[in-house]
Amino acid sequence: MVTNVAYLLGRQLTASVIASLRTRAEDVKSKYPNISSLPWDFPDSYWLSPGEIAFQVQRKGSESVVIDIENLMEWLNRMVRFENPHSIREYLLRFTELLDVIPQAVDAAKKYFPKAQLVMNVYQDPEIADCYLVLFIRLKHYDDSVIERLEKAEAEYLNQLVNKKGWIQLTTDFREPEGEYAL
Amino acid sequence: MGRKYANPPIIEAVCEFRLASGTRWDLTVPGLLYEKLKGLFPQKEQRVIQEVELTQGPDGLQQQFRTSERIMFFTNDRKMLVQVGPRLLVINVLKPYPHWEGFKPCTELAWKSLQETIEVQGLERIGLRYINRIELPAQNAELSEYFEFYPFVGSRLPQHMMMSFLAAVEFSYANDRDRCRLQLTPVSRSVMEGKTAFMLDLDYFLARPLGVAVPDVLNWIEEAHSRVEEIFEGCITDNLRNVFQEVL
Repeated sequence: MVTNVAYLLGRQLTASVIASLRTRAEDVKSKYPNISSLPWDFPDSYWLSPGEIAFQVQRKGSESVVIDIENLMEWLNRMVRFENPHSIREYLLRFTELLDVIPQAVDAAKKYFPKAQLVMNVYQDPEIADCYLVLFIRLKHYDDSVIERLEKAEAEYLNQLVNKKGWIQLTTDFREPEGEYAL
Repeated sequence: MGRKYANPPIIEAVCEFRLASGTRWDLTVPGLLYEKLKGLFPQKEQRVIQEVELTQGPDGLQQQFRTSERIMFFTNDRKMLVQVGPRLLVINVLKPYPHWEGFKPCTELAWKSLQETIEVQGLERIGLRYINRIELPAQNAELSEYFEFYPFVGSRLPQHMMMSFLAAVEFSYANDRDRCRLQLTPVSRSVMEGKTAFMLDLDYFLARPLGVAVPDVLNWIEEAHSRVEEIFEGCITDNLRNVFQEVL
């Protein structure tokens, strides 16, 4: 989860990237997400003056849930194809705890499947009232290592889902990349 | 009294109180506050916040990491929440916006509960922020048909090649005690299923720390809300009012 707050104090620019790990109050974890993997595109703004940077950073929100979601969607949009962005957005509004896990899931998927197309959707079970986020990897060629690599990728973020109400599943539908972002 | 819409574009409203450093705060405050708020906000979660402080120095930007904790209390439908951190109280409401008559009592409840819990010495910042996502009914609409606040592109510049923009201004109020930051940005079509949409973000805040006395805080919020309403109405045309369906 990322929220950015900026203050401009005279000549000093203070910008805060707030990353959060949400847990239940009675279950505080000591391990924090890797802040370097968070969806914050500050380097893109290096050509701006400090004041402009502050302005850029401020637009990313201050204590706002919606801005956090929009920032994440924009960041994901660079590397993930959305099948149903409206449903994804609604899911994230319901399960805001997932905001800090998703970047880790995407990073893990990119690490083990650097040439894959990543596709995100919300899976709705047709029989019971259960839904969760799905991150599909799609490859031009599938080999025997795919399942093993999926398991390794999933293992990199699975512990972050403990005690959270939402879920993100990394899997494949064995389809070829298609549409925008097809490799 | 501002206009009311059957289909308002507000996707989140945020009321934020940052207390002055002189206010005593300890780890028991969130729990005490929860006891007062749990009737309306029974669902409790906790976040661990990582912050990066970027400082512009002679050698360029320098960064410093720090962490803090934040407790969040949600309503059962998770459409409203209170965030509590060190000297920080935030009330968020998500869509559907319950109108000011619904949001205001919650901000008052949270603020009064905080005052019953600790002795607030002053406010570093107060903010009232409205984030709107505005979906246009037409695909290739001119901004001027829907907005009265948008970037001006002179006639010698390409007229239909603007891929993205950030239009932002700050207005000064009350002898610069308060400011309102107004921003308009397009939302990527790929995250809007091909629809043309814009984020209109209005953030009215106390720009002068300690500029409002503690007993006057609720009056300040009421005034801030009036300003935000004025600015919002100043940003849109009747075409958008028709989209939002004004309730008369």
